Amino acid sequence: MRDGNMIVEISCFEVWKRLSEYVDDDLPPDLKIRLRDHFARCQHCTALLDGTRNVVALIGDEQAFDLPSGAGQRITSALERRIAEDRETAG
Amino acid sequence: MVDEFANREIADAGGREDAVMGAFISVPAIEPVMGTRGDRRSPDVPHRTYTPRADTLQNDLVLIERILAGERELFVELVRPYQKLVYSMAITVVKSEHEAEDVSQEALFKAYKNLGQFRGECKFSTWIIQITLNEARHRIRKQQRAREDSIDCGIEAEEGDYIPIDFADWREIPFEALQRKELRTALERAIANLKPIYRDVLVLRDVEHFSVAETAQTLNISEASVKTRLLRARLQVRDTLAPGFDGYWSTGSATYKRVRPF
Repeated sequence: MRDGNMIVEISCFEVWKRLSEYVDDDLPPDLKIRLRDHFARCQHCTALLDGTRNVVALIGDEQAFDLPSGAGQRITSALERRIAEDRETAG
Repeated sequence: MVDEFANREIADAGGREDAVMGAFISVPAIEPVMGTRGDRRSPDVPHRTYTPRADTLQNDLVLIERILAGERELFVELVRPYQKLVYSMAITVVKSEHEAEDVSQEALFKAYKNLGQFRGECKFSTWIIQITLNEARHRIRKQQRAREDSIDCGIEAEEGDYIPIDFADWREIPFEALQRKELRTALERAIANLKPIYRDVLVLRDVEHFSVAETAQTLNISEASVKTRLLRARLQVRDTLAPGFDGYWSTGSATYKRVRPF
């Protein structure tokens, strides 16, 4: 525990369990402070945090999961065709 | 300061937990690095500002009524905004673009045939996702594909506990090599190799930006399970892509910071 500082240390193991919630800013304030304090003192966990943030940002990037070119049109055309066929058979 | 951990050889998964924990015990005290972090993003800032799509359930229900009353051609308009969502779910299960298109089209047609069963008790997207997942899984089973090898190299002590394989990767991948298509392929593959229970949560939370509550409802699991599985999924994808992720990326739309422990 730091002198004059009431933050209780947290282990790396505990930090990993809470990492995803920390990225989402979904922790109670006291826990958030403890993790933030840990990151300030632990380069390994900080590297893990930033790497995880990069993953989340990349996955969330609209561009990363675009439909391949033409796919939207192909899907729509196929769907329209099947709907039309279905209407014919249904009468 | 020499970082003993970086030079430590971690030979195999079996001994990994001990190696990792041992490294922690013996690593010399690291001095605080405050003041050297420069432009590192504040941890208090949410990783992404997301504008949730407007609640369209009411609009969807109106359209559905018209479709069921006979305006069948409107169905294509109804589902057009959900195409990307359907495709995103499909590609993580079947893994090939061609198959994902087939699954998407099949799932959408099934939604069309069963439209009368949608009562608006959940979001239309939730319903469509469930149909898509069922269709994709059905296709996998039908083809009797060999069970995909799931990446599971972290040590799991108990449900939710996960020990990352490495903390920093000293190899460098030149970011020029990561054109957007390669990046997308690598990302899709990394996600597709997750166990399904982790993958589904990751796609809904981080691709489609569903809330924890929405994800729990869509997948019929508890919110606690959503969080636990999301943690696992994110860390595994990070482990898979580690060579670049603590390095330096550019997708063209955002630049990810270089991160080195020192």
